Parts: sequence; structure tokens; C-alpha cells
Amino acid sequence: MEEQPKLTDKDQSIVLRRLISYLKPHKKVIIFALFLLGLTVLGDVIGPILIKTFIDDYLTVRNFPQGPLIGLASAYIFIQLSNVFISYFQLLKFQEIALKIIQQMRIDVFTKVQNLGMRYFDKTPAGSIVSRVTNDTEAIKDMFVSVLVGFIQSAFLVVGVYIAMFILNVKLALVTLLLLPILFLIIRTYRRYSSVFYQDLRERLSQLNAKLAESLQGMSMIQAFRQEPRLKDEFNDINEQHWEAGKRNIKMDSLLLRPAIDLVYALALIMLLSYFGITSFNNTIEVGVIYAFVTYIDRFFEPINQVMQRLSIFQQAIVAASRVFKLLDEEELVPAQANTNARIEAGKIEFNNVTFSYDGKTDVLKNISFTANPGETVALVGHTGSGKSSIINLLMRFYEFEQGDILIDGESVKNFKVQELRQKMGLVLQDPFLFFGDIESNIRLHNQAMTDEEVRASAEFVQADAFINQLPDGYKQKVTERGSTFSSGQRQLVAFARTMATDPKILVLDEATANIDTETEVAIQSSLEKMRQGRTTIAIAHRLSTIQDAELILVLHQGEVVERGNHQHLLASKGLYHKMYLLQNGIVEETV
Amino acid sequence: MKVFLDLGWFFKERKKQYIVGIIMLMVVAFLQLLPPKIIGYVVDEIRLGTLTGGALLKDLLLLAGAAITMYIIRYYWRMMIFGSAILLARQLRARLFEHFTRMSPRFYQKRRVGDLMAHATNDLSAVQQTAGAGVLTLVDSLATGSFVIAAMAITIDWKLTLIALIPMPIMAYLTNYYGKQLHNRFHFAQEAFSSLNDKTQESISGIKVIKTFGQEKEDIQDFIQLSDDVVEKNIHVAKVDSLFDPTISAIVGVSFFLSIVFGARFIIAGDMTVGDLIAFTAYLGLLVWPMLAFGWLFNIVERGRASYDRIRALLAEPADIDDASHALDVKAQGDLKVHIDEFKFPDDERAALKNVHFTLKRGETLGIVGKTGSGKTAILKLLLREFEGYEGWITYGDHSINSYKKERLRSAIGYVPQDHFLFSTTIAGNIAFANTSARLEEVYEASRLAHIHEDILNFTSEYDTIVGERGVSLSGGQKQRISIARALMMKPELLILDDSLSAVDARTEEAILESLKASRVDETTIITAHRLSAIQHAHQIIVLHEGTIVEKGSHEELMILQGRYYEMYQLQQLEALVEMGGEA
Repeated sequence: MEEQPKLTDKDQSIVLRRLISYLKPHKKVIIFALFLLGLTVLGDVIGPILIKTFIDDYLTVRNFPQGPLIGLASAYIFIQLSNVFISYFQLLKFQEIALKIIQQMRIDVFTKVQNLGMRYFDKTPAGSIVSRVTNDTEAIKDMFVSVLVGFIQSAFLVVGVYIAMFILNVKLALVTLLLLPILFLIIRTYRRYSSVFYQDLRERLSQLNAKLAESLQGMSMIQAFRQEPRLKDEFNDINEQHWEAGKRNIKMDSLLLRPAIDLVYALALIMLLSYFGITSFNNTIEVGVIYAFVTYIDRFFEPINQVMQRLSIFQQAIVAASRVFKLLDEEELVPAQANTNARIEAGKIEFNNVTFSYDGKTDVLKNISFTANPGETVALVGHTGSGKSSIINLLMRFYEFEQGDILIDGESVKNFKVQELRQKMGLVLQDPFLFFGDIESNIRLHNQAMTDEEVRASAEFVQADAFINQLPDGYKQKVTERGSTFSSGQRQLVAFARTMATDPKILVLDEATANIDTETEVAIQSSLEKMRQGRTTIAIAHRLSTIQDAELILVLHQGEVVERGNHQHLLASKGLYHKMYLLQNGIVEETV
Repeated sequence: MKVFLDLGWFFKERKKQYIVGIIMLMVVAFLQLLPPKIIGYVVDEIRLGTLTGGALLKDLLLLAGAAITMYIIRYYWRMMIFGSAILLARQLRARLFEHFTRMSPRFYQKRRVGDLMAHATNDLSAVQQTAGAGVLTLVDSLATGSFVIAAMAITIDWKLTLIALIPMPIMAYLTNYYGKQLHNRFHFAQEAFSSLNDKTQESISGIKVIKTFGQEKEDIQDFIQLSDDVVEKNIHVAKVDSLFDPTISAIVGVSFFLSIVFGARFIIAGDMTVGDLIAFTAYLGLLVWPMLAFGWLFNIVERGRASYDRIRALLAEPADIDDASHALDVKAQGDLKVHIDEFKFPDDERAALKNVHFTLKRGETLGIVGKTGSGKTAILKLLLREFEGYEGWITYGDHSINSYKKERLRSAIGYVPQDHFLFSTTIAGNIAFANTSARLEEVYEASRLAHIHEDILNFTSEYDTIVGERGVSLSGGQKQRISIARALMMKPELLILDDSLSAVDARTEEAILESLKASRVDETTIITAHRLSAIQHAHQIIVLHEGTIVEKGSHEELMILQGRYYEMYQLQQLEALVEMGGEA
């Protein structure tokens, strides 16, 4: 369950203002839509006046001249008809604006997410980021569509109705102004209580669901420890509290929503009738005016009821928006790159005394220095947590580092443009992530300039073509659910092809052969060898057999290089590497 | 409407509330007829100049009385009907929970937590809607609709009523038609939204690949395209959605126009008064809601029926492991004899266990080793009676484990599972899970035995620290040790550690094993492990391979045998050495 941030009134108004600022780019369309809205309100307001004219000038005096009457009727029909059309377009326009705004907000959030550094992804569960981009923005959409638009409509209608009433009868219009503070009071009271009661209900619901979800997940534990009765009691407690909160909400809604507004409506009628009744004792009253006022009062209460029903949507949207804005304001960005024209030509990599920590407390890399000359392979070996992956993370600029420097062709990695780094360095991840689409699109990714031939050539180069050609749809074979229909080896081969398609100068392999099934292992090994030719390679390998020909092997332990040299040299020194080698080859007799 | 019959038991239970609530709804529907009538009456009096102060006061008091009565009644029917609806949700929720606690692991293997949650949330709220808003729309649309029409026809003019009602069925038809269109289009909009959701999910899971290939901009472009689709599909929805209000006002407008035109004729003919006409138009306004409500009713009821059917199906699932009719209500203790010839997990062809026969004497420790999938956990699950239906038998003391009451068997067993599941409560609450009334001293004692006491004292709120998302995040080793303390709190006759020391370091492991040995005199222990150091001290060790016992004996015996156990032992020695950086 997502935590509900507590927002003060001030926070809420800041969030609301920021939400409204999203309207700005649509100013013109909004003005147009408001104009249409104005027209419909005008129509709504004029209709009763026409009927009033008919009643007072013709019906009560029994005077029926054909010409004016037909004119009156056609005016009425014309207004009604055009109102139907205009209000349709007006409603549609507002919905369009709301949808566009939400789209913009989604794009903003998604773009922001793409620009966040890996640290952010480490500390934030993927599900909650997805929620920010889609679900929270959806909640905001509901607010724009049903609350804000409804609010504007009501405001227009209220103003229109009052103008008409003032035209018809100033005194009575003034009297009906009394309704406004009463309604305002009800709305304010409702908002005050609902922000407490409704929030409470939502919190209890989320507690209830959290308890249920947790109990379902831990059911085997609950049963093993015979705690079913206790958990049932606890659940029933929360269930009862939720029910109590529900009752409080029904009570509040019943006291302050529709029934209350209807009561005010009756009050308005009483005001009208007493005014007309008392005036009629001394003056003549045009009944049509009574009709018009009664109709106006009717119209007036409709939108108010609607807006009140939807206030809870508003509350939720504000909460959702505050979460979205928090993400938009996140400062954990990708490491900055200097804007120089430095190029990677030869592919020489140097680590100079690099020290690094993820949390600022414990160093995961301590004083790492090594050089990979162009075309050479440097292998990183060590036990989990020894710092191998961190070296790659820094080289790829996934994380910013402060101490020491990493040079490529003599230039700090911080000085290359991102595009240059990404183009010239190819990283193959341990978990070959395939996207929804087909094999071809997974090799090409978004690079539309790549020809089909190039796609095929890179697949052939890494010897992925053998299995691809056997697929029923070949390169067009669908990839679903992250490629779960393919074996891990096949996925890895596609990932190889994807990397080779960009023809990088530097190859970075992150335990690329860690989870490979035996069928594809041979293919993978020979592909890797081909890929490494002519490229500087930094390779992490669990299987030492895959890196025996590396020019330099670094053995890492707790963030430090504890042994370095080539395979023969390291074996001869009978250190940690030697033990690892023995372990992997299952040669146990010699050791103990 | 069948769902109303299916929910009949509940309506019967809340007979009083529903009957009173429905009567109140009808009273309100009737009282609603008063204001238009009074307006019409006053208008006529004013026009004729016959209005007196007394008559006006009487009318206004009547109006005020009706309004206040309606306010009060509206409040009460809501409490009765909506109050009952949430009570139904509460009852069903409690029943579901109760049912969930009786379901065996087999049930949880078949159904995902997410699905079960969906039943307990979405389906429940649809049923709640049926018992609340469903009843309301049914009664109110029928009552208000018929009362208003009756009032128009009887108290004003039946001919005019017929004329005014002509367009109304068109409205019912159109709104119903729009509703269907909306449903379809909404479905597409929902699909577009879920593709966008999938895309976002994928981008975030694959963020490293995207960054590696510098494809952020292209990925954003892709996202924009999908979001365009979402906008387009939603505009399709809006196109129908925006039809509702104008259509209703058009039809009401036509009906209204007809009433004025024909009403005027009737007035001239002297069949009715201007006041009648004004009252009549006000009644027309009252008719809009019942027309719409009727359309909603079908929606609510349809969803309610589907949801209630799903909930009933869930509640009808039988508990597949139950106590025998004369289950033994005695303490389970003694020697453990396992004689399993064959066991397959449900829906699995492969035998998980085959010919697993051994005896464990009371007070002894058994070690079970083997690779992942060799059947270690399967044996434990059978001991815990999480699964039944194997060939062979298991006895504990003098009886088959199946003849004990489940409750009695489980109270003898302290189980520490592989996936150490902790609850989001305090650490003390987690440790005292099986015995909430335990003294704090007992909790400390168990924690000391599990060598977690010192760690806990280092947390900000010590034993009151909350575990989980909103509290402290524990390391795997800490979680394991808390799980062990939790099991030790039961002072179990049989303690089962299912690979529960894998995340603690070698030294702590040794210390825990030592204190277990010292404190658990005459009590039986079963330990499964990857790491042999955890079971080296056991009286008896069995080595499992593909579900069957391949070696059996004490550590020394197995080492002499120089078989699988011996090989594993040698490799692990070396592994330990590598982990420590090569310096033993």
C-alpha cells in the first residue's frame, strides 16, 4: 500500500496552483471553450425569459398574434437546438484539454524518470515509479475532467443565472443573494469534515488491504504457528473500524450533501414564493416572472450538487499530484557530462586511484588503478560483493564518483558527451533484457537508420542467426513477457547482436555468461571471442575458463585489487585466483 | 436482477432496515410532488388576486414542513440502506478472511495473492454497490417515476401527460445506447492505458539497457506515441460521454416545448390553469432522474451479479486438509518415523520424493542435505501436513501424523521457513507471534538463543522497532535469526530449520547451533542446509538426490564413505576459503 502524504491547506494550495499552471499552454483553446460555455449558459438563461414573455404577454392576456408567436417559438427552438450542439462541443473541448494536459504531465514525468540516476532506481521500487507515471496522473485526469470543468460550469451558470435574475427583478435577485453564503458555508463545512473523515476512511481501507495482503502472503506462517484465530480477530477489528469510518462518511454525506442542498433549494422556493406572495397583495405580479425565477433556481442547484459529490475526487487528485510533483522535483539526476568534442578513437582505459561508495559510508571500491590498452582484455574476478560490478557502473557513468579518475584515451570519462560514450562503449548485461516487440526490433532498438542487412550481419557475427532462422517467424518472431519464451542463452545472443550492431570501440561484459544453459554455451563462448577482437574489453566473469586469455586479470576482494597478472602468472603465485580456479575445476584433492 | 435473490439472505437479515428504508424512499418520492403543486397553486392565486396572507403562510409552512421532513427522512434512509450495504461488505470480507485462513498451501499455489486481493476489494465493492445504490435506483426510479407520472396525469391533465411523455422513451433508448457505446470505447481506452502502463513498467525495468545504448530520447519518443494513443482512445470515449448531457437536455427540451404548446391550448380551452402548467413543467424536471437511474440500475446489477458469483465460488472452495472425525487431542511427541514411498506435488508429473525412509529418535538432530530441488523442503512440508496424498506413512510418537488434530501437531512443531516471512509489526510482536502474551523476558531469552538480541538492541526503538517498508530494513541474516527466535518462543518439541542459517556468517551459525544444542535437551531438531557446517554435528545426516536418499549416516561415517557428501564437503571448504579472501 502506498503511503498517504499528509498535506496541510497550504501544501494543497501550492499543489493546486502548480496543477493549474498546466493550463497555460492551452490558453487559446481554453478561452474558446469558455466562450462556448458562455454561449450555452446564455442559452440556458434566455430560454426561461422567452417562456416568461409567452406567459405574461400572450397566454395570460389571451392574445395570440400568429407572427410574434411563431417568432417566439422559433427563437426558443433555435436556442435550444444550438445549445445542444454548442454544449456538446464545449464538453468535448474541455475533456480534450484535460487529456492533453495529462498527456503532457505524463511525458514530463517519464522524461524526468529517464534523466534520473541509477541511485534513484536503487532506492525506489519500480512499481511506485510506474504508479507515478500512470495511476497518479490518471487520478489527476479525473479531477480535471469532472471537478475543475464542473466547477467552471457551475461558476458560469451561477453568474449567468444571477445576471438574468437581476434583469428580471433587482430586489428579488438581491434577496436570493442570501443563498450564496449559506451554500458557501455548507460547502466549507463539508470540505472541512470530509478532509478528515474521508481521509480516515481511505486510510482504514489501505490498512485493511495491507493486513489482508500481508496475511495472504504469510498464510503458511500463520497456519504453522496456529495464529488463525488471532489474525482473524485483528482483521475483524480493522474491518470493524473501517465499517465505523464508512458509517461516519455516510452520515456526513447524508447530512451535508444532497439532502442539505435540497433543503436550501426548498428555502429558496420559500423565499421566492413569500416575496411574490407578499408583493402581490399591493402590486400586480407577472406570473411569468415567477416561472422564470423558479426555473432559474432549479438550474442553479444542479451543478452545485454535482460539484459537491465530486469533492472527494479532488482530494485524491491533490494527493496524487503532490506525489507526481515530488518525483518531478527529484534531484538524483544522471551524472553530468562536460560538453566537449572529445572522441574515443583508440579505446585505452585507465583507472587512477578510484575510490567509490554508494551510500557515502562504506567504500565499495578502494584505490582502484589499472590500465587496459587498446585491443586488450582486462578481466575482473572476485566473489560477490567484491566490487566488480561497481567498476563497470563507474566506467559506464551510471553513478557519479568523486575520488580518482577514469580516463579513456587520456580524457576523463566526465568530459565525453553521453552520445559519444554510449556509441563507443557496448555493455552486455548479466540479465539480457529483451523488450516487447520482435527479435529484429530488439537488435535494432530505436535506431531506425540501421538496415535489415546490418541487423542480420550483427546476428550472424555473434552466431545468433542459427537459432533465429529456426524460429517460425525468424527475425520477426514476437518477443513477449521480456523474452521468457527464449532460453537465457538465446536471449544473451540477441543482446550480443544488439551490442555488436552499434560496433563499439570498447566492450564491457558484466558476467555475460553467468546464467547460460549448456546448449548455447559453446556458441556464446566463440561469439564472445569474436566480439572481443580488436576491441578493448572489460569483462566480469564467474567462470574463469572464459577469461584465461585476458591480458590482465584483476582479483578483487572487498573493493581492493588483491592480485593482478595474467592467468599463468596468477596460477603460479598460488593465491586466491589459484584457489578459485581449483574450486571451479572441482579439483579438490590438492587443496585441503 | 437475480443477484437480488442471491443476496436474499442478507436482505432477510436486515429486513427491518430495508423495509423501513424503502418505505422512506417512497415517502420522499411522494413528498417531492408537493413543491411543484404548491408553486402552481400560489401562482394561480396570485394571478386571480385571491391570495390571502393566511393562505400564503399555510402554503409556505407546508413547503417548509415537507422540506424538513424530506431532509430527515433522506438522512435516515441513507443510513438504513447504504449503512446496510457497507455492513454486507464487512460481513463478506470477514467471511473471506475466515475462509482464507482455512485454505491449504495447495490453494495458494493455484491462486495469486493479487487475484485474491481483487476479489476482496473490487468484487466486494461491486456487491456493496448492488445492495446500496442498486436497491436505491430500483426503488427510487420506480417510485419517483410512477408517482410523478401519476401526479401529472391525475392532478393536472392526463392528455398533456401523454403528450409530454412521448419523447421520454427516446431518451431512455439513447442513453442506454450511449452506455453500450461508452462501454466498448472505454474498453479500448483501458487497453491503451494498460499498454502505456506496460511500456512504463518495461522502461523502468530495462532502464540500464536504455542507458547503456543511450536510447533515452528514443524511448521517450516511443512513450509519447503510446500516450498519443491513450489520448485518442480517450477522446473517442469523450465523444460519446459528452453526448449524455446535451441529449438529455434536448429531449427534455422537446418534451417541455410540447407541454407549453399543448398546455397553452388546454389553458385557453379552460381545461387547466397557468399554475397547473408551471407545476407540470416542474414535474417534467423530476422525471429526468428516474429515467437515468433505470439505465444505471442495469449496470450496477450486472456488475454486482458477476462479482457476487466470483465471491461465492471462492467461498465454496473446500478446505482440502481437515482433521479426521475423531482426531487425537493429545500432545504430539516421541520418535519420528518417516516412510514415504512416493510423493508428487499436485499438478506435477514428477515424483518429488521417492523411497524416503528414516527414523529420528526423540532428542536427536537430523541433518538433511542436497541440492535445490532434491526434495529437502518436500519432506518438511509433509511433516507439517501442508500436503497430503503420498504413498507411505509418517508417524510421530505412536500415531500417524494424520490422526492428530492439526492444531495439536502444529503446536509441537517450531518451523523456520526458507523464505523468512516477517509481519509488519514490531520485532517483539514478530518474535512473540505464536504467544502474544509472552513476558518480555521470554522474548529476550529466545532472541539470545537465536543470537539476534544484540542486533535488536542496536535498533532505534529496540524491540519496538517496526519491521518492513515503513520501519527498519533488516538484512537477510537478521530476518533469519528473528524467524528462529520466533520458532524458539514456542519451545517446540520438534524444531525445523529449513535452510534457515544460509544468510548468517559462519561464526554466528556456530554460536546458534551451540546454544540450540545446550538449550534443547530431549527435544528433536531437523535442519536442512546447503552449507554442511550447519548439519555437521547432527546425530544423523541424510543426503538427498532427486527425491531419494543416496547416503545416510553421521558426518564421520559419510566422510569415510567418500561419496557425494564428502565431495560437497571438500568443495565447500574451498569456497569458504575464497569467500574469506583466500586467507584462512
